[in-house]
Amino acid sequence: MKTRLLPVLIIGTVSLCAAQDKPSPTPFADFEDRVAAYMKIHKAAQSDLGGLRPTSSPEQIDAKKDSLAEGVRTKRSTAIQGDVFTPTIADEFRRVIAIDLKRRDKRIRQSIRSGEPVMAKVRVNGSYPEGLPLQTMPPSLLTTFPKLPSELDYRLVGTTLVLRDVTANLIIDFVPNAIAIH
Amino acid sequence: MFQRRILLCCLAAALAFNGTYDPLIVTAQSQADPEIKLPLVDKSVRFAIIGDNGNASRPQYEVAKQMERFRQKVHFDFVLMLGDNLYGRKSPADYKSKFETPYKDLLDAGVKFYASLGNHDDPNERFYKPFNMNGQRYYTFRKGDAAFFALDSTYMDSAQLEWLDKELGKANNTQWKLCYFHHPLYSDARHGPDLDLRARIEPIFKKYGVNVVLSGHEHVYERIVPQQGIAYFVLGNSGELRYHDLVKSPIMAKGFDTDRSFGMWEVNKDGLSFQIVSRTGETIDSGTISPLAPKT
Repeated sequence: MKTRLLPVLIIGTVSLCAAQDKPSPTPFADFEDRVAAYMKIHKAAQSDLGGLRPTSSPEQIDAKKDSLAEGVRTKRSTAIQGDVFTPTIADEFRRVIAIDLKRRDKRIRQSIRSGEPVMAKVRVNGSYPEGLPLQTMPPSLLTTFPKLPSELDYRLVGTTLVLRDVTANLIIDFVPNAIAIH
Repeated sequence: MFQRRILLCCLAAALAFNGTYDPLIVTAQSQADPEIKLPLVDKSVRFAIIGDNGNASRPQYEVAKQMERFRQKVHFDFVLMLGDNLYGRKSPADYKSKFETPYKDLLDAGVKFYASLGNHDDPNERFYKPFNMNGQRYYTFRKGDAAFFALDSTYMDSAQLEWLDKELGKANNTQWKLCYFHHPLYSDARHGPDLDLRARIEPIFKKYGVNVVLSGHEHVYERIVPQQGIAYFVLGNSGELRYHDLVKSPIMAKGFDTDRSFGMWEVNKDGLSFQIVSRTGETIDSGTISPLAPKT
């Protein structure tokens, strides 16, 4: 009986040790996992509708965008701010932005200024405001942030960093006070 | 004869008072033959450029009329759009009033439009077939011995930078490389240059010998003194306009901020010629860029 239990005990102990040794994911690795989870929802909503293809009909572009947004909203109706940008992840973005600003402050601020800063209230599952320009993202920040699938983008709205579903024009999540204003 | 004199006097007076719409100007100019500064070499590649155009304003329509008037002489085949193709809302009615109606004559004549995205554009415009973006935020195409690169300067991420590096490398065998996108790397107008964007993409342009860079965003026309061997142009006044927005600086080769404009270009093996035309049909700038060094 004792000899039968031994392998089980050894495997159990090794597994426990392995679990204890496994480092917790870095904030950006955690962010990428959450983005991947969002993309499953996006793809499921898109497969219900069929993808957006080049068309001469603006009506079709509008209809697909609205249906995709509605599909995603339905599938994540309980989503709240902080689901993707958890407090730890949000702090990591703030930290990275602050470091970049320290290194290239003039260049980045000038880029933001020349890109026409925008101000608006944003909410999770809300549309990016119709007719509001898109704040140009300083390339230095984009190259520091985790890469996103082509269906998503980062945008600044005032001092808020927004994660947006491009085709659905939908706000997935946001980090308030992401960038300090002098 | 008397009527003609009155018309010419009105025209001269109106031209002296730049920027104010006067239907007489358009009438008088459209009766005269347009002045062509391009060499019009046989089998050359000819195209036009517009920027910050899509506001459905009367001046946008007037610029479009001038484009058609000049096209009948120059026979350009396509138009590069430097961004802010559709201001404000993007409903189907907006696509009509801000693009399809003003450029109907050009579209009916088979002229193709190749759009780039500005900060006022919705990236979903890339799916609108008449913009010829084929669903891409950034893309490339070739015409004759020229390679064109439409970039999305509102979102220059590492994927786009890698793509640009790779595609410019592939185009090394073309004589002319032209990049166009919304935000200028050099400018003497209100917004000023995007220095962060410049730091990222100008070294790539230099590495592959890009000849010409065309941008919009500033609602003026400006030709920059060549920088790093590259000829930079800003044209963001094909619909919008910011009067007297330019501040003279050592890098300004030519500036125009009192009316709208569009540009026409001709590419052949000996050079790249350009002519910038105002809403009233005046030539406000012209010149030729040689394959080796920009000159005007």
